[in-house]
Amino acid sequence: MSADKANSNKGKILILATESCAYPGANSVGQAHSPYPANTYILRVRAPVLFPEKFYIDCFRKGIGGIIIMSCGEECPYEGAYHALAKRIDNVFQMMKAHNLDIRRLRLTAICTVCNRAFLKEVNEMNKLIEELGPPEYKEAA
Amino acid sequence: MSTKKTAETEEPRVGVYICHCGGNISDHVDVKKVAENLEKVPGVAVAHTNMFMCSDPGQELIQEDIKSGKINRVVVASCAPSLHETTFRGAIKRADMNPYLYEHANIREQVSWVHHGEAATAKATSLVTAAVAKAKELEALDPIKVDAARHATVIGGGIAGLRAALDLAQRGIEVALIEKSPFLGGQAANLERIVPTGERAADLIQDLAAKVMADSRIRVYTCSRIVKSEGYVGNFKITLKTQPPDSQADLEKLQEVAAKGEKPGRFVPFAGFLAVKVPTTASEQVLDSGAIVFATGFSTYTPRDGEFGYGQNPEVITLPQLIRFMSQEKSRGRSLTINGRTIRRVALVHCVGSRQIPGIHEPDADGGLNEYCSRTCCAATLQAASEIRERYPLTHVLEYYRDIRTYGRGQEEFYERASENHVMFLRYEPEDPPQVERLSKGNFPLRVTVKDTLTFGEALSADVDLVVLSVGMVPSRIADLVDMMKLPVGADRFLQEVHPKLRPVELANTGILLAGTCQAPMDISEACNAAAAAAAKATSLLSKGYVELDPFVAQVDLSRCKGNGACVAACTVDAIVMQTVEVDGQSVERAEVNPALCTGCGVCVAVCPENAIDVKGWTLEQYEAMVDAIVAD
Repeated sequence: MSADKANSNKGKILILATESCAYPGANSVGQAHSPYPANTYILRVRAPVLFPEKFYIDCFRKGIGGIIIMSCGEECPYEGAYHALAKRIDNVFQMMKAHNLDIRRLRLTAICTVCNRAFLKEVNEMNKLIEELGPPEYKEAA
Repeated sequence: MSTKKTAETEEPRVGVYICHCGGNISDHVDVKKVAENLEKVPGVAVAHTNMFMCSDPGQELIQEDIKSGKINRVVVASCAPSLHETTFRGAIKRADMNPYLYEHANIREQVSWVHHGEAATAKATSLVTAAVAKAKELEALDPIKVDAARHATVIGGGIAGLRAALDLAQRGIEVALIEKSPFLGGQAANLERIVPTGERAADLIQDLAAKVMADSRIRVYTCSRIVKSEGYVGNFKITLKTQPPDSQADLEKLQEVAAKGEKPGRFVPFAGFLAVKVPTTASEQVLDSGAIVFATGFSTYTPRDGEFGYGQNPEVITLPQLIRFMSQEKSRGRSLTINGRTIRRVALVHCVGSRQIPGIHEPDADGGLNEYCSRTCCAATLQAASEIRERYPLTHVLEYYRDIRTYGRGQEEFYERASENHVMFLRYEPEDPPQVERLSKGNFPLRVTVKDTLTFGEALSADVDLVVLSVGMVPSRIADLVDMMKLPVGADRFLQEVHPKLRPVELANTGILLAGTCQAPMDISEACNAAAAAAAKATSLLSKGYVELDPFVAQVDLSRCKGNGACVAACTVDAIVMQTVEVDGQSVERAEVNPALCTGCGVCVAVCPENAIDVKGWTLEQYEAMVDAIVAD
C-alpha cells in the first residue's frame, strides 16, 4: 500500500465524535464540501465517557499524534456523562505529563450537528500543532 | 447449534462492499484500488465495488455472499451511516444473518466530499480497514425484548399534555394524566386568543379537556404529584400523591371559581378547566405504566426588581398581566383603561428575560442566563399592540424591540397589521436597553428613553401611562422529577432531547418522551405537534405489548468481574446493581445490568479496573482494534 501512504509521514489525528452531535457535525462539513486535512480519522462513539484514561495514553504510545474529543458538551444526552468525561480528561492530562506527552495533543471540545466552522477550526489547529510538535515521544512513567 | 449460529461463531470472514455512489465517491476515491487493498487485509473474504450499494442489486450482492457461506461479517463503505445503516442491516437480516455482524465505513461525507486524489484513496483504505478490524470483533446480538404495559403516564395537564393523552387514548393506550393543580389547560388558560389563528384559548381548552374527560381510557389525576418513580421502559412504577391544593395561586383561583358558582366540567378564564372535585384528603397510589410523556410546560419569566422599573412602579406590568387586564376591561371607551386609569400611551418592551447576553444581563440567583429566544413573545406582543389600537384608538402604542421574530406561518402578518395600526416601532441594542424613569411632574407617570437604532442612535424619550414587559419563557420547576428520573437537562435548563432531527421528542432515558415547552420555548401549534409525535412514539413502543430495544447496552463479563462495584457507583441511571451469585461454590457479589434501564453511554466501562464491563456493539476492544488498524498503515 505504499502508494497510498499519502499521509503516513504526517501525524495522525484521531477524532472521537459523538453519534448525536459531532459525528453528524462532521457529515455536515462533508455536505458543505469544506476540505480539511486527510490525516484525520473519525470514530463514531455513543459517548466518549466510555474510554478509560489508558485508552488515550495507549493511542499516543501507538503513534497517534493528536486526539480531539468532539463531544456534545453540556447538551450530552446522557445524564452526568459530560461532567464525568471532563473529570476523566483532567486525569489523562496528568498521565500525559508523566509520559512526557504535550497535553495540547488532547483536546476536549463540543461540536454540534451544524458546527462546521468549529469543526474545521479544531481540526486545522490540531493539525498545525502536531506538525510543530512532531511525533509523540512517549516515555514510560517514572 | 444451528447453521446460522455456527457461521456466526466461526472465524470471521468479512465481506467488504465499496460504493461508487454514482460518482460521489468514485470521482475522488479510487474505489477499485481500495477494494484491491482490502482484499489483502487478513480476515477479508471478498471485496466488491458497486455503483450503488443501497440499490437492490447492491444489496443482493451482499445477500448472495452470505447465503453462499463466503462471508459471516459485512462492512459497507458508502455514505453516512445515518442514511443507510438500517438499509444494510435489513438486507443482512433478510439473508438470515444476524444484522449486528455489520459495520459501516463513511467514505462519502468524511472522505470523498472533503479530500481528493491519493490522500482520499489512502484515507478510505484506512477507514475501511479499521471497519474490518471492528467487524472481526463483532458478536451476534439480539434486540432486547421486555414486556410492556399498554399504559402511558402523561405528566402535565396543559395543552400538550391534553393533546398527548387524547392521541394515546385514540390509539388504544390507557392513559393516566397527572396535573399538579386542580385545573387543566396550563399556561394557555392565561391567554385570551391564540396566535396566529385568533381562536379563543378558552374554546380550545374546553374542547380538548372535555374530550379527555369523556374518554374512558384516560384517567385524570389533578392535585397530584409524582413522589416516586422506579422501573424502566414498559414497566415504570409511578407513585402518585393526590392531596388538597396548598399553593396560594391555586387557592385564589378556587375561591374565584366558587364565587362564580362554577362546577367541574367547565373552563374558568385565567384558571383553567376544573376537571374533577378537589380532593379533601391525601392519598397515594401506584401506577404501572409502559411509557412516560413529559408535558410539564414552562413558567413565565419574572422580571427582577427594578428591571425596566418593574416592582418599583405599579405602572410597569408584564404581558400576561396586560392580557388579563384587557380581558377584564369592560368599558366601551375609546381609550384603554386599567384599574380605572386611562392609558393614553403604552410602551411595550420586547425580549425581557430572553436572549440574555453574558456580561450585559444579570444572571439569576443560580448564575443562569436565558440566552435563548422565547419565540412566542414577538407575535403575542404585536397581537396585543394591534388589539389595543383597534379596540382603543385613542391609546397610542410604542414597541421597543431588538429584532422582530415573527417566524411562524401567518405570524408576519401580525407585524404588518401592527404597522397598519400605526404602532410606532423603536429598535434598541441589548447594551442600550430602554430606560424607564418615574416622573414627579407632568401628566404622565413614566418616561421611557431609548437610543433608537432606526434613527441612527438618536436618544428618543416618550412619556407613557403604562410599560408592558414582554416576558419570555423559563423552564418549569421540575427539579424533583429530574432528580428522581435522572433526566438530562440542557444548558438552557429545559429537558434535553437526544437530537432534534435524528431522535426528536426522545430523551436518552428510553420510554420517556417530551411534549411541548418542557423541552424548549414553542407556540401552541408546535407544542401540539411535539405532543402528537410523543404520543405516536409511545404508542409504537407499547402497542405490541412488548418493547424491542437496541442491544447496545452494557454487559458484564462474569469471568472477569470481581465485584468491586465501581460501575454501580458510576452509573447515573441506576441500571447496574450488585447481585449475589454462586462462583466456585461460594456466594459472591457481582455486577448485573438491567438492559431496559441502561442507556448505553459507557460510563461504567471506563471505571472498571478488570475491564469486565462493556457496551455491546461498541466495545473498548473494538475501538482498540480500529486504532491499531489506523496506525498500522
